[in-house]
Amino acid sequence: MNSMLEDFGEALADRNGYQLAQTLSPSLPDETLRGIFKSCNAHDVRLILQRNIQRSFPGMMDKNTNNEVQAWVEVYHCYWKTIGEILAIQDSSANGKSSQWAQSSWTKVYQNWHEMLNVLIRGYLNSHFEAWTIPCLYVAGKHLRIFAIKADAERNSSSSLDTGGANFEDDFNPESEKNKQLEDCARQLNRVFNLCLSDRSPLEESRKWGIYYVINLLFKTYFKLNSASLSKNILKALSAGRGDMPPLPAFPKSQQVTFKYYEGVLRFLEEDYAQAEHHLTEAWNLCHKDAVRNKELILTYLIPCHLLTTHTLPSLKLLEPYPRLQKLFLPLSNSIKKGDLHAFDLALLEGEDEFVKRRIYLTLERGRDIALRNLLRKVFIAGGFEEPKEEGAKPVRRSRIPIAEFAAAISLGSQETLEDDEVECLLANMIYKNLMKGYIARERGILVLSKSGAFPGTGV
Amino acid sequence: MASTQAPSKNDARAAAETKPEQTVAEQKPAAALEEDDEFEDFPVDDWETEDAEAANGSSEGTQHLWEESWDDDDTSDDFSAQLKEELKKVEASKKR
Repeated sequence: MNSMLEDFGEALADRNGYQLAQTLSPSLPDETLRGIFKSCNAHDVRLILQRNIQRSFPGMMDKNTNNEVQAWVEVYHCYWKTIGEILAIQDSSANGKSSQWAQSSWTKVYQNWHEMLNVLIRGYLNSHFEAWTIPCLYVAGKHLRIFAIKADAERNSSSSLDTGGANFEDDFNPESEKNKQLEDCARQLNRVFNLCLSDRSPLEESRKWGIYYVINLLFKTYFKLNSASLSKNILKALSAGRGDMPPLPAFPKSQQVTFKYYEGVLRFLEEDYAQAEHHLTEAWNLCHKDAVRNKELILTYLIPCHLLTTHTLPSLKLLEPYPRLQKLFLPLSNSIKKGDLHAFDLALLEGEDEFVKRRIYLTLERGRDIALRNLLRKVFIAGGFEEPKEEGAKPVRRSRIPIAEFAAAISLGSQETLEDDEVECLLANMIYKNLMKGYIARERGILVLSKSGAFPGTGV
Repeated sequence: MASTQAPSKNDARAAAETKPEQTVAEQKPAAALEEDDEFEDFPVDDWETEDAEAANGSSEGTQHLWEESWDDDDTSDDFSAQLKEELKKVEASKKR
Protein backbone atom coordinates (compact mmCIF):
# COMPACT_ATOMS: atom_id res chain seq x y z
CA MET A 1 0.00 0.00 0.00
CA ASN A 2 2.73 2.41 0.94
CA SER A 3 4.80 1.94 -2.18
CA MET A 4 1.65 2.25 -4.25
CA LEU A 5 0.88 5.60 -2.64
CA GLU A 6 4.48 6.69 -2.99
CA ASP A 7 4.18 6.04 -6.71
CA PHE A 8 0.97 8.00 -6.63
CA GLY A 9 2.77 10.99 -5.09
CA GLU A 10 5.59 10.74 -7.59
CA ALA A 11 3.24 10.53 -10.57
CA LEU A 12 1.33 13.50 -9.24
CA ALA A 13 4.49 15.54 -8.87
CA ASP A 14 5.64 14.61 -12.39
CA ARG A 15 2.15 14.92 -13.85
CA ASN A 16 2.74 11.50 -15.42
CA GLY A 17 -0.65 10.05 -16.31
CA TYR A 18 0.56 6.58 -17.26
CA GLN A 19 2.55 6.18 -14.07
CA LEU A 20 -0.50 7.29 -12.14
CA ALA A 21 -2.72 4.82 -13.97
CA GLN A 22 -0.28 2.05 -13.16
CA THR A 23 -1.05 2.49 -9.46
CA LEU A 24 -4.65 1.59 -10.28
CA SER A 25 -3.85 -1.54 -12.22
CA PRO A 26 -5.46 -4.68 -10.81
CA SER A 27 -3.31 -6.97 -12.94
CA LEU A 28 -0.33 -7.23 -10.61
CA PRO A 29 1.47 -10.25 -9.18
CA ASP A 30 -0.63 -11.93 -6.50
CA GLU A 31 1.84 -11.17 -3.71
CA THR A 32 1.67 -7.50 -4.58
CA LEU A 33 -2.11 -7.48 -4.58
CA ARG A 34 -2.18 -9.38 -1.31
CA GLY A 35 0.35 -6.97 0.19
CA ILE A 36 -1.78 -3.99 -0.73
CA PHE A 37 -4.93 -5.56 0.59
CA LYS A 38 -3.43 -6.77 3.87
CA SER A 39 -1.84 -3.43 4.73
CA CYS A 40 -5.12 -2.13 6.07
CA ASN A 41 -8.59 -3.27 6.99
CA ALA A 42 -12.10 -2.11 6.34
CA HIS A 43 -12.02 0.16 9.38
CA ASP A 44 -8.82 2.04 8.84
CA VAL A 45 -8.47 1.98 5.05
CA ARG A 46 -9.99 5.42 4.52
CA LEU A 47 -7.89 6.94 7.25
CA ILE A 48 -4.67 5.48 5.86
CA LEU A 49 -5.51 6.57 2.34
CA GLN A 50 -6.48 10.02 3.52
CA ARG A 51 -3.23 10.48 5.42
CA ASN A 52 -1.00 9.27 2.62
CA ILE A 53 -2.73 10.98 -0.24
CA GLN A 54 -2.84 14.27 1.63
CA ARG A 55 0.90 14.06 2.02
CA SER A 56 1.25 14.13 -1.78
CA PHE A 57 -0.32 17.58 -1.85
CA PRO A 58 2.22 19.87 -0.28
CA GLY A 59 1.31 23.48 0.42
CA MET A 60 -1.97 25.07 1.29
CA MET A 61 -4.93 22.78 1.68
CA ASP A 62 -7.65 24.92 0.12
CA LYS A 63 -11.14 23.78 -0.68
CA ASN A 64 -10.32 22.60 -4.20
CA THR A 65 -7.31 20.60 -3.15
CA ASN A 66 -9.28 19.08 -0.35
CA ASN A 67 -11.96 18.02 -2.82
CA GLU A 68 -9.34 16.42 -5.02
CA VAL A 69 -7.85 14.55 -2.08
CA GLN A 70 -11.27 13.26 -1.09
CA ALA A 71 -11.94 12.14 -4.66
CA TRP A 72 -8.67 10.19 -4.84
CA VAL A 73 -9.40 8.63 -1.46
CA GLU A 74 -12.69 7.40 -2.88
CA VAL A 75 -11.00 6.04 -5.99
CA TYR A 76 -8.36 4.11 -4.06
CA HIS A 77 -10.91 2.88 -1.58
CA CYS A 78 -12.84 1.29 -4.46
CA TYR A 79 -9.60 -0.07 -5.84
CA TRP A 80 -8.80 -1.64 -2.49
CA LYS A 81 -12.24 -3.22 -2.25
CA THR A 82 -11.94 -4.65 -5.78
CA ILE A 83 -8.64 -6.25 -4.92
CA GLY A 84 -10.28 -7.78 -1.89
CA GLU A 85 -12.88 -9.39 -4.12
CA ILE A 86 -10.28 -10.69 -6.55
CA LEU A 87 -8.35 -12.26 -3.69
CA ALA A 88 -11.54 -13.71 -2.26
CA ILE A 89 -12.09 -15.66 -5.48
CA GLN A 90 -8.61 -17.11 -5.21
CA ASP A 91 -9.03 -17.98 -1.55
CA SER A 92 -12.36 -19.68 -1.95
CA SER A 93 -11.15 -21.85 -4.79
CA ALA A 94 -7.90 -22.62 -2.97
CA ASN A 95 -9.82 -23.73 0.11
CA GLY A 96 -12.06 -25.85 -2.05
CA LYS A 97 -15.19 -24.23 -0.74
CA SER A 98 -18.39 -24.85 -2.56
CA SER A 99 -18.14 -23.21 -5.92
CA GLN A 100 -21.44 -21.48 -5.22
CA TRP A 101 -19.55 -18.80 -3.35
CA ALA A 102 -16.90 -18.33 -5.91
CA GLN A 103 -19.37 -18.05 -8.70
CA SER A 104 -20.83 -14.69 -7.87
CA SER A 105 -17.44 -13.23 -7.23
CA TRP A 106 -16.47 -11.90 -10.63
CA THR A 107 -19.76 -10.10 -10.61
CA LYS A 108 -18.76 -8.58 -7.28
CA VAL A 109 -15.38 -7.62 -8.68
CA TYR A 110 -17.20 -5.97 -11.56
CA GLN A 111 -19.52 -4.07 -9.24
CA ASN A 112 -16.69 -2.68 -7.16
CA TRP A 113 -14.69 -1.72 -10.19
CA HIS A 114 -17.77 -0.11 -11.68
CA GLU A 115 -18.07 1.97 -8.53
CA MET A 116 -14.48 3.09 -8.99
CA LEU A 117 -15.24 4.17 -12.53
CA ASN A 118 -18.24 6.12 -11.24
CA VAL A 119 -16.06 7.94 -8.74
CA LEU A 120 -13.55 8.74 -11.47
CA ILE A 121 -16.22 10.05 -13.83
CA ARG A 122 -17.71 12.18 -11.06
CA GLY A 123 -14.24 13.49 -10.27
CA TYR A 124 -13.80 14.67 -13.84
CA LEU A 125 -17.27 16.13 -14.11
CA ASN A 126 -16.67 18.12 -10.91
CA SER A 127 -13.27 19.24 -12.23
CA HIS A 128 -11.37 17.58 -9.39
CA PHE A 129 -9.09 15.73 -11.79
CA GLU A 130 -7.03 17.32 -14.52
CA ALA A 131 -6.93 15.98 -18.06
CA TRP A 132 -3.41 14.60 -17.82
CA THR A 133 -4.77 11.93 -15.48
CA ILE A 134 -6.98 10.32 -18.17
CA PRO A 135 -4.89 7.14 -18.40
CA CYS A 136 -6.70 6.30 -15.15
CA LEU A 137 -9.86 6.09 -17.25
CA TYR A 138 -8.05 3.75 -19.64
CA VAL A 139 -7.15 1.34 -16.85
CA ALA A 140 -10.63 1.58 -15.40
CA GLY A 141 -12.36 1.02 -18.75
CA LYS A 142 -10.07 -1.73 -19.90
CA HIS A 143 -10.47 -3.82 -16.76
CA LEU A 144 -14.17 -3.11 -16.47
CA ARG A 145 -14.49 -4.93 -19.79
CA ILE A 146 -12.24 -7.79 -18.69
CA PHE A 147 -14.20 -8.22 -15.46
CA ALA A 148 -17.52 -8.04 -17.32
CA ILE A 149 -16.45 -10.82 -19.69
CA LYS A 150 -15.28 -12.95 -16.76
CA ALA A 151 -18.49 -12.32 -14.83
CA ASP A 152 -20.61 -13.31 -17.84
CA ALA A 153 -18.58 -16.42 -18.53
CA GLU A 154 -18.76 -17.45 -14.90
CA ARG A 155 -22.50 -16.92 -14.64
CA ASN A 156 -23.17 -18.72 -17.91
CA SER A 157 -21.13 -21.75 -16.98
CA SER A 158 -22.70 -21.97 -13.54
CA SER A 159 -26.26 -21.59 -14.79
CA SER A 160 -25.73 -24.20 -17.45
CA LEU A 161 -24.35 -26.55 -14.83
CA ASP A 162 -27.06 -25.89 -12.28
CA THR A 163 -30.20 -25.83 -14.30
CA GLY A 164 -29.33 -27.85 -17.35
CA GLY A 165 -31.80 -27.27 -20.15
CA ALA A 166 -34.42 -25.58 -18.01
CA ASN A 167 -33.38 -22.16 -19.27
CA PHE A 168 -34.93 -22.80 -22.64
CA GLU A 169 -38.41 -22.56 -21.23
CA ASP A 170 -37.84 -19.21 -19.61
CA ASP A 171 -39.29 -16.20 -21.28
CA PHE A 172 -36.27 -14.00 -21.70
CA ASN A 173 -33.82 -13.14 -24.40
CA PRO A 174 -31.03 -15.63 -23.76
CA GLU A 175 -28.55 -13.66 -25.86
CA SER A 176 -28.83 -10.47 -23.85
CA GLU A 177 -29.00 -12.40 -20.60
CA LYS A 178 -25.80 -14.14 -21.56
CA ASN A 179 -23.94 -10.85 -21.95
CA LYS A 180 -25.67 -8.93 -19.18
CA GLN A 181 -22.50 -7.58 -17.62
CA LEU A 182 -20.81 -6.78 -20.88
CA GLU A 183 -23.83 -4.84 -22.05
CA ASP A 184 -23.72 -2.82 -18.88
CA CYS A 185 -20.02 -2.31 -19.52
CA ALA A 186 -20.80 -0.91 -22.97
CA ARG A 187 -23.11 1.64 -21.37
CA GLN A 188 -20.42 2.67 -18.90
CA LEU A 189 -17.82 3.00 -21.64
CA ASN A 190 -20.25 5.15 -23.54
CA ARG A 191 -20.41 7.47 -20.54
CA VAL A 192 -16.62 7.72 -20.62
CA PHE A 193 -16.79 8.41 -24.35
CA ASN A 194 -19.15 11.33 -23.76
CA LEU A 195 -17.05 12.51 -20.86
CA CYS A 196 -14.09 12.84 -23.23
CA LEU A 197 -16.05 14.12 -26.20
CA SER A 198 -17.87 16.87 -24.34
CA ASP A 199 -14.84 18.46 -22.70
CA ARG A 200 -14.71 22.09 -23.75
CA SER A 201 -11.31 22.92 -22.23
CA PRO A 202 -8.49 24.14 -24.46
CA LEU A 203 -7.01 21.26 -26.44
CA GLU A 204 -3.73 21.01 -24.55
CA GLU A 205 -5.59 20.22 -21.34
CA SER A 206 -8.58 18.44 -22.78
CA ARG A 207 -9.97 15.01 -22.08
CA LYS A 208 -10.46 14.74 -25.85
CA TRP A 209 -7.02 13.13 -25.82
CA GLY A 210 -8.68 10.12 -24.26
CA ILE A 211 -11.24 9.68 -26.99
CA TYR A 212 -9.58 7.11 -29.25
CA TYR A 213 -8.58 4.81 -26.43
CA VAL A 214 -12.17 4.75 -25.25
CA ILE A 215 -13.56 4.36 -28.77
CA ASN A 216 -11.33 1.33 -29.33
CA LEU A 217 -12.60 -0.24 -26.11
CA LEU A 218 -16.16 0.43 -27.25
CA PHE A 219 -15.52 -1.10 -30.68
CA LYS A 220 -14.12 -4.25 -29.11
CA THR A 221 -17.09 -4.44 -26.80
CA TYR A 222 -19.68 -3.93 -29.53
CA PHE A 223 -18.02 -6.54 -31.73
CA LYS A 224 -18.06 -9.02 -28.90
CA LEU A 225 -21.72 -8.28 -28.29
CA ASN A 226 -22.37 -8.91 -31.96
CA SER A 227 -23.67 -5.40 -32.38
CA ALA A 228 -20.89 -3.98 -34.49
CA SER A 229 -23.40 -1.63 -36.08
CA LEU A 230 -23.61 0.36 -32.84
CA SER A 231 -20.07 1.47 -33.59
CA LYS A 232 -21.49 3.63 -36.35
CA ASN A 233 -23.08 5.93 -33.78
CA ILE A 234 -19.66 6.45 -32.31
CA LEU A 235 -18.16 7.27 -35.70
CA LYS A 236 -21.01 9.69 -36.36
CA ALA A 237 -20.54 11.49 -33.06
CA LEU A 238 -16.83 11.58 -33.74
CA SER A 239 -17.06 13.06 -37.21
CA ALA A 240 -19.58 15.63 -35.96
CA GLY A 241 -17.02 16.83 -33.43
CA ARG A 242 -13.98 16.27 -35.59
CA GLY A 243 -13.42 19.99 -36.14
CA ASP A 244 -12.20 20.61 -32.61
CA MET A 245 -10.64 17.19 -32.09
CA PRO A 246 -6.90 16.57 -32.20
CA PRO A 247 -6.09 14.84 -35.52
CA LEU A 248 -5.70 11.06 -35.37
CA PRO A 249 -1.97 11.06 -36.28
CA ALA A 250 -1.33 13.05 -33.10
CA PHE A 251 -2.33 10.01 -31.01
CA PRO A 252 -0.10 7.07 -30.05
CA LYS A 253 0.29 4.54 -32.88
CA SER A 254 -1.27 1.74 -30.86
CA GLN A 255 -4.49 3.75 -30.76
CA GLN A 256 -4.28 4.77 -34.41
CA VAL A 257 -3.80 1.22 -35.65
CA THR A 258 -6.58 -0.23 -33.52
CA PHE A 259 -8.97 2.50 -34.59
CA LYS A 260 -8.10 2.08 -38.27
CA TYR A 261 -8.54 -1.67 -38.04
CA TYR A 262 -12.04 -1.39 -36.62
CA GLU A 263 -13.00 1.44 -38.95
CA GLY A 264 -11.85 -0.72 -41.86
CA VAL A 265 -13.72 -3.80 -40.67
CA LEU A 266 -16.87 -1.72 -40.20
CA ARG A 267 -16.67 -0.44 -43.77
CA PHE A 268 -15.99 -3.99 -44.86
CA LEU A 269 -19.18 -5.19 -43.21
CA GLU A 270 -21.06 -2.40 -44.99
CA GLU A 271 -19.55 -3.72 -48.23
CA ASP A 272 -17.81 -0.41 -48.85
CA TYR A 273 -14.67 -2.18 -49.97
CA ALA A 274 -12.79 0.84 -51.30
CA GLN A 275 -13.04 2.62 -47.95
CA ALA A 276 -12.32 -0.60 -46.10
CA GLU A 277 -9.18 -1.12 -48.11
CA HIS A 278 -8.08 2.43 -47.44
CA HIS A 279 -8.42 2.14 -43.65
CA LEU A 280 -7.02 -1.37 -43.43
CA THR A 281 -3.99 -0.43 -45.51
CA GLU A 282 -3.30 2.44 -43.14
CA ALA A 283 -3.62 0.09 -40.19
CA TRP A 284 -1.25 -2.34 -41.89
CA ASN A 285 1.36 0.30 -42.66
CA LEU A 286 1.37 1.72 -39.15
CA CYS A 287 1.15 -1.59 -37.31
CA HIS A 288 4.15 -2.60 -35.24
CA LYS A 289 6.15 -5.07 -37.31
CA ASP A 290 6.35 -7.60 -34.48
CA ALA A 291 2.61 -7.64 -33.75
CA VAL A 292 2.05 -10.81 -35.75
CA ARG A 293 -1.44 -11.63 -34.54
CA ASN A 294 -2.70 -8.13 -35.24
CA LYS A 295 -1.12 -8.11 -38.67
CA GLU A 296 -2.81 -11.43 -39.34
CA LEU A 297 -6.16 -9.93 -38.34
CA ILE A 298 -5.67 -6.93 -40.61
CA LEU A 299 -4.84 -9.22 -43.54
CA THR A 300 -7.88 -11.40 -42.89
CA TYR A 301 -9.98 -8.48 -44.13
CA LEU A 302 -7.47 -6.78 -46.38
CA ILE A 303 -7.03 -9.84 -48.60
CA PRO A 304 -10.73 -10.16 -49.54
CA CYS A 305 -10.77 -6.37 -50.07
CA HIS A 306 -7.89 -6.55 -52.49
CA LEU A 307 -9.52 -9.38 -54.36
CA LEU A 308 -12.59 -7.27 -55.07
CA THR A 309 -11.12 -3.79 -55.50
CA THR A 310 -7.91 -4.45 -57.42
CA HIS A 311 -8.39 -8.13 -58.33
CA THR A 312 -5.03 -8.97 -56.81
CA LEU A 313 -4.04 -11.89 -54.64
CA PRO A 314 -1.63 -12.10 -51.73
CA SER A 315 1.84 -13.25 -52.72
CA LEU A 316 3.44 -16.27 -51.07
CA LYS A 317 5.90 -13.89 -49.50
CA LEU A 318 3.12 -11.96 -47.84
CA LEU A 319 1.47 -15.10 -46.47
CA GLU A 320 4.70 -16.77 -45.43
CA PRO A 321 4.66 -15.77 -41.74
CA TYR A 322 0.99 -16.69 -41.30
CA PRO A 323 0.22 -20.41 -41.56
CA ARG A 324 -3.36 -19.74 -40.55
CA LEU A 325 -3.88 -17.34 -43.44
CA GLN A 326 -2.23 -19.76 -45.83
CA LYS A 327 -4.71 -22.40 -44.84
CA LEU A 328 -7.53 -19.91 -45.15
CA PHE A 329 -6.69 -18.32 -48.48
CA LEU A 330 -4.24 -20.40 -50.51
CA PRO A 331 -6.69 -22.97 -51.90
CA LEU A 332 -9.02 -20.20 -53.04
CA SER A 333 -6.16 -18.16 -54.34
CA ASN A 334 -4.76 -21.01 -56.42
CA SER A 335 -8.12 -21.90 -57.92
CA ILE A 336 -8.73 -18.27 -58.89
CA LYS A 337 -5.36 -18.13 -60.62
CA LYS A 338 -6.04 -21.26 -62.59
CA GLY A 339 -9.61 -20.28 -63.35
CA ASP A 340 -10.61 -23.59 -61.84
CA LEU A 341 -14.23 -23.02 -60.87
CA HIS A 342 -14.69 -26.47 -59.43
CA ALA A 343 -11.68 -26.14 -57.14
CA PHE A 344 -12.94 -22.70 -56.15
CA ASP A 345 -16.33 -24.04 -55.13
CA LEU A 346 -14.67 -26.82 -53.17
CA ALA A 347 -12.31 -24.43 -51.40
CA LEU A 348 -15.21 -22.16 -50.50
CA LEU A 349 -17.15 -25.09 -49.13
CA GLU A 350 -14.14 -26.42 -47.27
CA GLY A 351 -13.52 -23.12 -45.50
CA GLU A 352 -17.15 -22.16 -45.11
CA ASP A 353 -17.35 -22.33 -41.31
CA GLU A 354 -14.21 -20.33 -40.85
CA PHE A 355 -15.16 -17.79 -43.52
CA VAL A 356 -18.60 -17.27 -42.02
CA LYS A 357 -17.15 -16.87 -38.56
CA ARG A 358 -14.75 -14.22 -39.86
CA ARG A 359 -17.59 -12.55 -41.77
CA ILE A 360 -15.73 -12.81 -45.06
CA TYR A 361 -17.73 -15.55 -46.76
CA LEU A 362 -19.96 -13.31 -48.87
CA THR A 363 -17.03 -11.23 -49.99
CA LEU A 364 -14.94 -14.23 -50.98
CA GLU A 365 -17.87 -15.76 -52.80
CA ARG A 366 -17.70 -12.81 -55.17
CA GLY A 367 -14.17 -13.91 -56.03
CA ARG A 368 -15.75 -16.55 -58.27
CA ASP A 369 -16.17 -13.82 -60.87
CA ILE A 370 -12.42 -13.36 -60.92
CA ALA A 371 -11.90 -17.08 -61.33
CA LEU A 372 -14.36 -17.10 -64.22
CA ARG A 373 -12.71 -14.05 -65.75
CA ASN A 374 -9.38 -15.86 -65.68
CA LEU A 375 -10.90 -18.94 -67.26
CA LEU A 376 -12.44 -16.92 -70.11
CA ARG A 377 -9.18 -15.08 -70.50
CA LYS A 378 -7.44 -18.40 -71.01
CA VAL A 379 -9.85 -19.23 -73.83
CA PHE A 380 -9.06 -15.89 -75.42
CA ILE A 381 -5.33 -16.48 -75.20
CA ALA A 382 -5.59 -20.08 -76.41
CA GLY A 383 -7.39 -18.70 -79.46
CA GLY A 384 -4.10 -17.37 -80.73
CA PHE A 385 -3.72 -14.67 -83.35
CA GLU A 386 -5.51 -13.71 -86.57
CA GLU A 387 -3.72 -14.13 -89.89
CA PRO A 388 -1.96 -10.80 -90.36
CA LYS A 389 -3.68 -8.80 -93.12
CA GLU A 390 -0.47 -7.37 -94.40
CA GLU A 391 3.17 -8.18 -94.09
CA GLY A 392 4.79 -6.99 -90.82
CA ALA A 393 1.56 -5.79 -89.22
CA LYS A 394 1.29 -6.15 -85.46
CA PRO A 395 -0.37 -9.48 -84.74
CA VAL A 396 -3.95 -9.19 -83.52
CA ARG A 397 -5.58 -11.74 -81.26
CA ARG A 398 -8.56 -13.60 -82.57
CA SER A 399 -11.43 -11.58 -81.13
CA ARG A 400 -14.47 -13.45 -82.48
CA ILE A 401 -14.85 -16.51 -80.38
CA PRO A 402 -17.60 -19.10 -80.66
CA ILE A 403 -19.64 -19.23 -77.49
CA ALA A 404 -19.33 -23.00 -77.67
CA GLU A 405 -15.64 -22.60 -76.80
CA PHE A 406 -16.51 -20.71 -73.64
CA ALA A 407 -19.18 -23.27 -72.84
CA ALA A 408 -16.61 -26.02 -73.17
CA ALA A 409 -14.15 -24.13 -70.99
CA ILE A 410 -16.76 -23.53 -68.32
CA SER A 411 -17.76 -27.16 -68.26
CA LEU A 412 -14.07 -28.04 -68.03
CA GLY A 413 -13.59 -25.58 -65.20
CA SER A 414 -16.69 -26.31 -63.20
CA GLN A 415 -17.02 -29.99 -64.06
CA GLU A 416 -20.66 -29.55 -64.88
CA THR A 417 -22.29 -28.84 -68.22
CA LEU A 418 -24.36 -25.69 -68.49
CA GLU A 419 -27.18 -24.86 -70.89
CA ASP A 420 -26.22 -22.44 -73.67
CA ASP A 421 -28.49 -19.80 -72.16
CA GLU A 422 -26.70 -20.08 -68.84
CA VAL A 423 -23.35 -19.65 -70.53
CA GLU A 424 -24.55 -16.54 -72.34
CA CYS A 425 -25.88 -15.23 -69.06
CA LEU A 426 -22.48 -15.69 -67.40
CA LEU A 427 -20.76 -13.94 -70.30
CA ALA A 428 -23.24 -11.05 -70.23
CA ASN A 429 -22.58 -10.68 -66.51
CA MET A 430 -18.86 -10.51 -67.08
CA ILE A 431 -19.39 -7.75 -69.62
CA TYR A 432 -21.77 -5.92 -67.29
CA LYS A 433 -19.24 -6.05 -64.45
CA ASN A 434 -16.60 -4.66 -66.78
CA LEU A 435 -14.41 -7.71 -66.29
CA MET A 436 -14.59 -8.33 -70.01
CA LYS A 437 -15.21 -5.98 -72.94
CA GLY A 438 -17.24 -6.98 -75.95
CA TYR A 439 -20.70 -8.04 -77.03
CA ILE A 440 -22.57 -11.22 -77.76
CA ALA A 441 -23.66 -11.77 -81.35
CA ARG A 442 -26.45 -14.20 -80.55
CA GLU A 443 -27.63 -15.09 -84.02
CA ARG A 444 -24.11 -16.12 -84.97
CA GLY A 445 -23.34 -17.71 -81.64
CA ILE A 446 -20.13 -15.82 -81.10
CA LEU A 447 -18.68 -13.42 -78.62
CA VAL A 448 -17.01 -10.39 -80.18
CA LEU A 449 -14.30 -9.12 -77.88
CA SER A 450 -12.76 -5.69 -77.86
CA LYS A 451 -9.52 -5.50 -79.83
CA SER A 452 -8.07 -3.06 -77.36
CA GLY A 453 -8.16 -4.65 -73.94
CA ALA A 454 -10.69 -7.46 -73.98
CA PHE A 455 -9.97 -8.16 -70.32
CA PRO A 456 -9.35 -4.75 -68.76
CA GLY A 457 -6.34 -4.46 -66.52
CA THR A 458 -4.90 -7.86 -67.40
CA GLY A 459 -2.64 -6.88 -70.29
CA VAL A 460 -4.75 -8.40 -73.07
CA MET B 1 3.25 3.34 -20.93
CA ALA B 2 3.29 0.62 -18.36
CA SER B 3 -0.46 0.61 -18.13
CA THR B 4 -0.73 -1.13 -21.44
CA GLN B 5 1.69 -3.88 -20.62
CA ALA B 6 0.70 -7.48 -21.03
CA PRO B 7 -2.37 -7.48 -18.87
CA SER B 8 -3.94 -10.33 -20.72
CA LYS B 9 -1.14 -12.65 -19.73
CA ASN B 10 -1.49 -11.73 -16.10
CA ASP B 11 -5.21 -12.15 -16.26
CA ALA B 12 -4.98 -15.49 -17.93
CA ARG B 13 -2.54 -16.61 -15.29
CA ALA B 14 -4.66 -15.23 -12.49
CA ALA B 15 -7.66 -17.04 -13.89
CA ALA B 16 -5.70 -20.24 -14.20
CA GLU B 17 -4.54 -20.01 -10.64
CA THR B 18 -7.84 -19.09 -9.17
CA LYS B 19 -9.73 -21.98 -10.62
CA PRO B 20 -7.69 -25.11 -10.45
CA GLU B 21 -10.81 -27.29 -10.31
CA GLN B 22 -12.51 -25.92 -13.36
CA THR B 23 -14.68 -28.31 -15.23
CA VAL B 24 -14.40 -28.80 -18.94
CA ALA B 25 -17.55 -26.80 -19.48
CA GLU B 26 -16.12 -23.86 -17.64
CA GLN B 27 -12.98 -23.81 -19.70
CA LYS B 28 -14.82 -23.57 -22.95
CA PRO B 29 -15.43 -19.81 -22.92
CA ALA B 30 -11.73 -19.17 -22.43
CA ALA B 31 -10.87 -21.23 -25.49
CA ALA B 32 -13.46 -19.39 -27.53
CA LEU B 33 -11.92 -16.10 -26.48
CA GLU B 34 -8.57 -17.17 -27.85
CA GLU B 35 -9.66 -17.65 -31.42
CA ASP B 36 -11.65 -14.47 -31.29
CA ASP B 37 -10.89 -11.90 -33.94
CA GLU B 38 -10.44 -9.23 -31.32
CA PHE B 39 -7.57 -6.88 -31.97
CA GLU B 40 -4.90 -7.41 -29.35
CA ASP B 41 -3.46 -4.75 -27.12
CA PHE B 42 0.00 -3.75 -28.21
CA PRO B 43 2.71 -4.29 -25.60
CA VAL B 44 3.80 -0.70 -26.09
CA ASP B 45 1.76 2.42 -26.52
CA ASP B 46 3.70 4.08 -29.31
CA TRP B 47 6.63 3.32 -31.60
CA GLU B 48 8.97 4.87 -34.10
CA THR B 49 8.13 4.95 -37.79
CA GLU B 50 10.94 2.52 -38.54
CA ASP B 51 9.27 -0.08 -36.33
CA ALA B 52 6.08 0.15 -38.34
CA GLU B 53 5.21 -2.44 -40.95
CA ALA B 54 5.51 0.07 -43.79
CA ALA B 55 9.21 0.45 -43.04
CA ASN B 56 9.59 -3.32 -42.96
CA GLY B 57 9.48 -3.82 -46.71
CA SER B 58 11.88 -0.90 -47.20
CA SER B 59 11.94 0.90 -50.55
CA GLU B 60 9.78 -1.57 -52.40
CA GLY B 61 6.69 -0.50 -50.51
CA THR B 62 3.84 -2.92 -50.09
CA GLN B 63 3.09 -3.36 -53.76
CA HIS B 64 5.22 -6.46 -54.21
CA LEU B 65 3.15 -8.24 -51.60
CA TRP B 66 0.24 -8.44 -53.99
CA GLU B 67 0.26 -10.22 -57.29
CA GLU B 68 -2.02 -10.44 -60.28
CA SER B 69 -4.82 -12.92 -60.04
CA TRP B 70 -4.05 -14.73 -63.28
CA ASP B 71 -1.19 -16.95 -64.15
CA ASP B 72 0.03 -16.80 -67.74
CA ASP B 73 2.58 -19.54 -67.22
CA ASP B 74 -0.33 -21.84 -66.78
CA THR B 75 -1.76 -20.96 -70.20
CA SER B 76 0.06 -23.65 -72.08
CA ASP B 77 -0.86 -25.73 -75.09
CA ASP B 78 -2.20 -28.10 -72.54
CA PHE B 79 -5.24 -25.96 -72.07
CA SER B 80 -5.87 -25.62 -75.81
CA ALA B 81 -5.72 -29.38 -76.17
CA GLN B 82 -8.07 -29.92 -73.26
CA LEU B 83 -10.41 -27.33 -74.66
CA LYS B 84 -10.48 -29.00 -78.09
CA GLU B 85 -11.12 -32.33 -76.48
CA GLU B 86 -13.98 -30.90 -74.45
CA LEU B 87 -15.43 -29.19 -77.53
CA LYS B 88 -15.50 -32.46 -79.38
CA LYS B 89 -17.23 -34.13 -76.48
CA VAL B 90 -19.88 -31.42 -76.33
CA GLU B 91 -20.43 -31.55 -80.08
CA ALA B 92 -20.76 -35.30 -79.96
CA SER B 93 -23.26 -35.24 -77.15
CA LYS B 94 -25.33 -32.64 -79.00
CA LYS B 95 -25.53 -34.71 -82.18
CA ARG B 96 -26.91 -37.60 -80.25
